[in-house]
Amino acid sequence: MSQLFEFSDDREASSAARVRALEALLIEKGVIATDSVDVVLKHFETMAGPFNGAKIVARAWVDPDYARRLVEDTPKAIAELSLPLGMTGAEGEHMAAVANDANVHNLIICTLCSCYPWPVLGLPPYWYKDPVFRARGVREPRAVLQEFGVQVPATKEVKVWDSSAQIRWFVVPERPANTEHLSEEELAALVTPESMMGVALVEAPAA
Amino acid sequence: MFTRFEEYAAASMLGAPDSPPRLDGKLLFTNRWERDVFGLALSLSKAGCFEWEDFRQSLIASIAKWEAIECAKQPRWDYYERFLEALLNVVETSGVLSRREIEAIVAARSR
Repeated sequence: MSQLFEFSDDREASSAARVRALEALLIEKGVIATDSVDVVLKHFETMAGPFNGAKIVARAWVDPDYARRLVEDTPKAIAELSLPLGMTGAEGEHMAAVANDANVHNLIICTLCSCYPWPVLGLPPYWYKDPVFRARGVREPRAVLQEFGVQVPATKEVKVWDSSAQIRWFVVPERPANTEHLSEEELAALVTPESMMGVALVEAPAA
Repeated sequence: MFTRFEEYAAASMLGAPDSPPRLDGKLLFTNRWERDVFGLALSLSKAGCFEWEDFRQSLIASIAKWEAIECAKQPRWDYYERFLEALLNVVETSGVLSRREIEAIVAARSR
């Protein structure tokens, strides 16, 4: 069928029309249901993703007791929050949080494969699986962090956590200064996936 | 070891030639049809119409076909256009739709 697929000038419109026709026919023939597409995408859009991690981090920022529990027993602490069903079990049960503070900056990598805490961070960026990032993350984490724009003072220790099928790490970044007036929800909006990997700091919103 | 089909499907593509565009931990769709075609591929494989790996191999072949085009004649890169071509191929080879039905879909024009 490859010869049927010519490149036309109105490519976007053609592709959109073809996808509509394909979906309509599959529904008409009963191969899929009318809501099948939305059901599978819901997983990435509302169930598993960095929005879960951001909620966890924001709770840790406003509640020091929660922050302590999160590091001590990550799955149990995550289960305290009302995250979408399934986000605390299965893939999530092997997750472990490490917290940045005045003395320590944490960086997560994976030297084996693409082990990654999906339920809280979503899909890893393309460079996470890059062998160079993984190798240099272990060998010279400070240089790698500097390239990401994160200057870690010499007085601060850098800890590198290697994720595996057994444990998938994520970072609780430091709460930025001058955010005392923000609500938990507003704080969550500041948290990026990169900050929960340790390759970025969380910035306060511009005044 | 993924317990959810959705995660297995997406994870198998990461770091591979068929890796989908993403931003800030989420899949990146710039048009509605891109989201729909991604969801269709997952839905069909989840329903048992074809193995996800068969779709991936079709997508890798479709990407390779674009790469083999001479630079001057190469159309602008469009990941989801490759994705749609790969899906139509696997839908036909797995017998979900007939060649005639695929031809009608390819002939579909915007309304």
